[in-house]
Amino acid sequence: MSDQTLSNSAGDTGDSASTSQVRIQLSTRHPDIALPENPGPILVNTNLRRYALSTLVNALLQSEKPIPFEFLINGTFLRTTLDQYLTANGISAEITLNVEYVRAIIPPVYLASFQHDEWVSSVDVLSKTSPAAIWAGNAGTKVPGQERILSGCYDGLLRVWNMSSEVIATSPSADEGGAHSAILAAKFISPTQIASSGLDRTVRTWEYSEDADGFSASITPKLELHGHKMAVNSLAVHHPSSRILSTSQDHSIRFWSTKKSEAPPTPENLLPSTSFKSSKRQKTGSSPTTATRGSLSELKSHTGQVSDTIFAPNDHTVAYSSSWDHTVKTWDLPSSRCIDTRSTSAALFSLTALPSLNLLAAGSVARHITLIDPRASATTVSAMTLRGHSNAVVSLAVDPQNSYGLVSGSHDGTCRVWDVRSGTSGNEGKVGHSLYCIERESAKGRGKIAAGEGVKVFSVCWDSDVGIVSGSEDKRMQINRGKGIVGEQPS
Amino acid sequence: MAPEQGARKRKAITRDSPESDEVVLSDGGEDFEVPLPNGNQSEDELNEDEGDSSDLFEDESDIEDDEELEDELDSDEIPSDDEENAKNLERGEQSTHSRDIKGELNGGPATNYKITEDANGNVRFLYNEIDPVYDSDDSDAPATTNTIGNIPLSFYDSYPHIGYDINGRKISRPAQGEALDALLDSIEIPKGWTGLTDPATGKPLELSQQELEVLKRIQMNEVPEENYDPYPATIEYFTSKTEQMPLSAAPEPKRRFIPSKHEAKRVMKIVRAIREGRILPYKPPSEEEEDDPDVKRYDIWANEAPKPDHPMNIPAPKLPPPGYEESYHPPPEYLPDKNEKKAWEEADEEDRDRESLPTNHDSLRKVPGYNKFIKEKFERCLDLYLAPRVRRSKLNIDPESLLPKLPSPEELRPFPTSCYTIFRGHEARVRSLAIDPSGSFVASGGDDGMVRIWQLFTGHQIWSVKLSKEEAVNAVRWRPGTDAVILAAATGEDVYLIAPPMSENDIDPELHVKSRELVDAGWGYAANGASGKAKKEPATQWVRPGSSLQDKGVLVKFSLRKTVKVIAWHRRGEYFSTVSPQGQSSAVAIHTLSKHLTQLPFRKLKGLAQSAQFHPSKPIFFVATQRMIRSYDLSRQELIKIIQPGARWISSFDVHPGGDNLIVGSYDKRLLWHDLELSVRPYKTLRYHQKAIRAVKFHPGGLPLFADASDDGSLQIFHGKVVSDMMENASIVPLKVLKGHQIKKELGVLDVDWHPTEPWCVSAGADGTCRLWA
Repeated sequence: MSDQTLSNSAGDTGDSASTSQVRIQLSTRHPDIALPENPGPILVNTNLRRYALSTLVNALLQSEKPIPFEFLINGTFLRTTLDQYLTANGISAEITLNVEYVRAIIPPVYLASFQHDEWVSSVDVLSKTSPAAIWAGNAGTKVPGQERILSGCYDGLLRVWNMSSEVIATSPSADEGGAHSAILAAKFISPTQIASSGLDRTVRTWEYSEDADGFSASITPKLELHGHKMAVNSLAVHHPSSRILSTSQDHSIRFWSTKKSEAPPTPENLLPSTSFKSSKRQKTGSSPTTATRGSLSELKSHTGQVSDTIFAPNDHTVAYSSSWDHTVKTWDLPSSRCIDTRSTSAALFSLTALPSLNLLAAGSVARHITLIDPRASATTVSAMTLRGHSNAVVSLAVDPQNSYGLVSGSHDGTCRVWDVRSGTSGNEGKVGHSLYCIERESAKGRGKIAAGEGVKVFSVCWDSDVGIVSGSEDKRMQINRGKGIVGEQPS
Repeated sequence: MAPEQGARKRKAITRDSPESDEVVLSDGGEDFEVPLPNGNQSEDELNEDEGDSSDLFEDESDIEDDEELEDELDSDEIPSDDEENAKNLERGEQSTHSRDIKGELNGGPATNYKITEDANGNVRFLYNEIDPVYDSDDSDAPATTNTIGNIPLSFYDSYPHIGYDINGRKISRPAQGEALDALLDSIEIPKGWTGLTDPATGKPLELSQQELEVLKRIQMNEVPEENYDPYPATIEYFTSKTEQMPLSAAPEPKRRFIPSKHEAKRVMKIVRAIREGRILPYKPPSEEEEDDPDVKRYDIWANEAPKPDHPMNIPAPKLPPPGYEESYHPPPEYLPDKNEKKAWEEADEEDRDRESLPTNHDSLRKVPGYNKFIKEKFERCLDLYLAPRVRRSKLNIDPESLLPKLPSPEELRPFPTSCYTIFRGHEARVRSLAIDPSGSFVASGGDDGMVRIWQLFTGHQIWSVKLSKEEAVNAVRWRPGTDAVILAAATGEDVYLIAPPMSENDIDPELHVKSRELVDAGWGYAANGASGKAKKEPATQWVRPGSSLQDKGVLVKFSLRKTVKVIAWHRRGEYFSTVSPQGQSSAVAIHTLSKHLTQLPFRKLKGLAQSAQFHPSKPIFFVATQRMIRSYDLSRQELIKIIQPGARWISSFDVHPGGDNLIVGSYDKRLLWHDLELSVRPYKTLRYHQKAIRAVKFHPGGLPLFADASDDGSLQIFHGKVVSDMMENASIVPLKVLKGHQIKKELGVLDVDWHPTEPWCVSAGADGTCRLWA
């Protein structure tokens, strides 16, 4: 109804003299929502807002169900009327505006919080579209609504949750052989395998098996990987090659195999049994024996804590790592050599890849996210800076549906959603601003929290089915999802 | 008769013939000055003689002139210096003289008088008028005798004569110098010969050598006495040497000290004259320039009659006629708008570009009176009075430009700007904290007797131990170096060395074993040392703590006599010092980790020791007492320098990693920067805190930052760049005030420490929290 009138008014070539009009050229980078035939410049009223333009595009697409669109003009999302935009930017209404329309990212709304006993240091999701499931052949393991969420906690326990905020599996406690003192990272390797690492310098892999009814499951230790000398900060897993990368506070990255047969035996001196005797040690010494293995190789060239690492999205023999020594390094895994080093201005705490853009996003202690082009041909270190957080950015995840989207978790207690297309060029290079800011539900009503005390977000994960999952110092795992973004309606 | 006599006499002289003695004798009385060559009298005589002689040879032929001349010369015993002219002159005189004589001879018998009778009948001689004949002797007449006229004498070179005199006689060429010399050489005169006769003896008078010398002296106007010295050497009455003691001890007379009355009188006279205007002290300069009468001035515009326009005719300049702006009813475009009006009104009178603003009045009738009339009249009056008026001189200086140029903090990034993490857990004040050398953990100790270790960014407490039930943990410090993880903590009088496991139930074997080994290495030494030299009682005994503490990783404990407040490690991690301000001689102790040895280097320390630090690269040890910081050379065991910050009570200090600079925090709110090379006084004093400064710290890892912690609950971050160039001073820029800690019982922030490499710092607050700033 309103579509019709608006498109009419848009199509009219200026019989209303009171409102000025501007010529716009619509375009998109997504072929699935591209206009069937190029309509050429369209004359529209300058008092239109995003919604009106969105209906216009929907009308042009003749889609049955309206798709919400966002409109990018010169790299910024249209948030006001066209008229206000033109006056604010000093653009004449007589030139043709190039307007790019993209699928809107719906503001993620709070769905649920899963209560833990301790700080939630790490979260991961197993769903139909999660990497672990895709690697496993995507064998219809998880129907919608049957997604599993893995959380690692500072109490040293791994928990697997279903979407009804029920714990369906918990790793064995320290007395029973699950021996992390505090978990810092946890990931699904495959629908049946979990990797975790913690303050106790070890990386562990676990068998995860689910009962048929899907309401109970078990996590059993499979491998204990020794080699790091200090706490293991983060993990990267690649199931097809059964490889794990881990980064540690001892400035090194280690490369592991998840297969018992491939992995070399643990060096004797690293085994806990040979270490110093203490009363605590005797307690853990009596635990059921778990197979221990050493690392395939050690990647050493960082001069500070290695904060995060990832496998290159399209090449599992290449890895990227970020460190407190301000650098992002590119590693050739078969030769364990550092190929390239990119230096930034501040210590880096997190890393993720934007595969379609060939960019790495690195969250830094200086409250921003730097987009780095890791290719050797790139001339500038920082392609773009995303600003908005007020504390260190410690976790990053990419939008599974939008290759330009990004979510970041920070110690200031918020997660922020970014679109790298939106940004303004200033004297410090291109600077982007967040689209949405997700606050902790537990922090509601507490006003502004200094230093993110009590609500620090430690880990964030974005799944197309589940939404944005974040684990935090408030001992909760919070799920936020933009309703109606996805094609399939959530059940 | 007489001339002839003279000539003869001369001849007699030359030929040495003693003829006509009487005459000579009679003449000798007059002409005693015979040896004098040029005596006037004698010359006259000679001239006369010559004249006579010439008369005598009057008839001789011209050719014989030479001989005559020779004769003349013969007769002349005096070598003549005269030149030709002189000769001529003489000749002229001779000739005139001779004529005179002739005249006399001719007119001799004729009488020049008549004899008449006067009224009484007596004989009366009437003399004729004397006829001054022109020919008469006229000494004034020019002596030119040569009549050849104005022709060069060279024309006569080939003749023996050089011209003719007025009588047509030849003037012979005078004798040449050589001829005279030859003649004189041929004459030999005995010494002392006078040519005179001694009247007493009748013999020729000969003067002895002595007499000749007397004569010579008289001639020279000297004293005739022989050996008379007109300039004798001075015989001094007083010695020229300065005496040490005055010869006279008489006191200075009084008159030298009292002002002279006479002088006063004279001065008063002058003063009175000045007062009465009789004397002008100075002449006032004439002000008016004198009109130069040579410069003529014209008033070209005196007559202003209209003239045709011509380049040579410049009309007198005139004031422009009033324009629209001055009109009472100007056109609207001349009227000022609101902004212009405001600007004009706000500007100072001196700064206004025009005196009045155009104002619009509908008609002339509505134009108000001139409102400045009174004021202008008044000012005119002031001008007439020559009343000076104060001119307000405006200072157009931008106050900002007077401030010293400091770089803006934005350019000096990175530095900590905001609080990142709050470490909560301590139940009371946190007294001390430190970041471990690897930069991953924070250790803190507080009034609750606990030592806690935290993860740096997450604020997760990794480990804790309760060291004491009553006493506060006053200091925690990590051992430098990443080869081992050892923490020193002080509670009360006890100092503990801890090798903390970095997680609750798991221990990093390698590092931890290494740490334990390092701490335990001294046990054997301590035992041996004690037995080896038991003469000196060790300052303290290093012992194992209780087993419960040992399980936690607390490996060694020792006690000092008084409460230990400060621990400082040497950079190699082998030594550490403790300061217990109340312990007199044991206030400062240096401990050796590998030997479990405690030494008390200072038997007596002036003042209460406050803090101590090792120099980062040299064997120098700094000890701060309340007012001074002393630096000691450890290897030579001597005092090097006393640094005087000027603070009343030093709370803490830190040495720059370069070693040449020092920051000192004091309880009297001051932060002082010392350049050790420059002076013992502070190079810069920073007074930005409202309350006492508790702790100061340089960034250890090469960033030009330092921080202080104060009781006003804030930390201040400064940029302090030290350049190696000696000519340039350190630049100190305040960067940031970090607020967040709450003040509890007048205590704010108690300690501060930097991350070893990054621009992050941690602070310990009296509110029981630690905070990380980045």
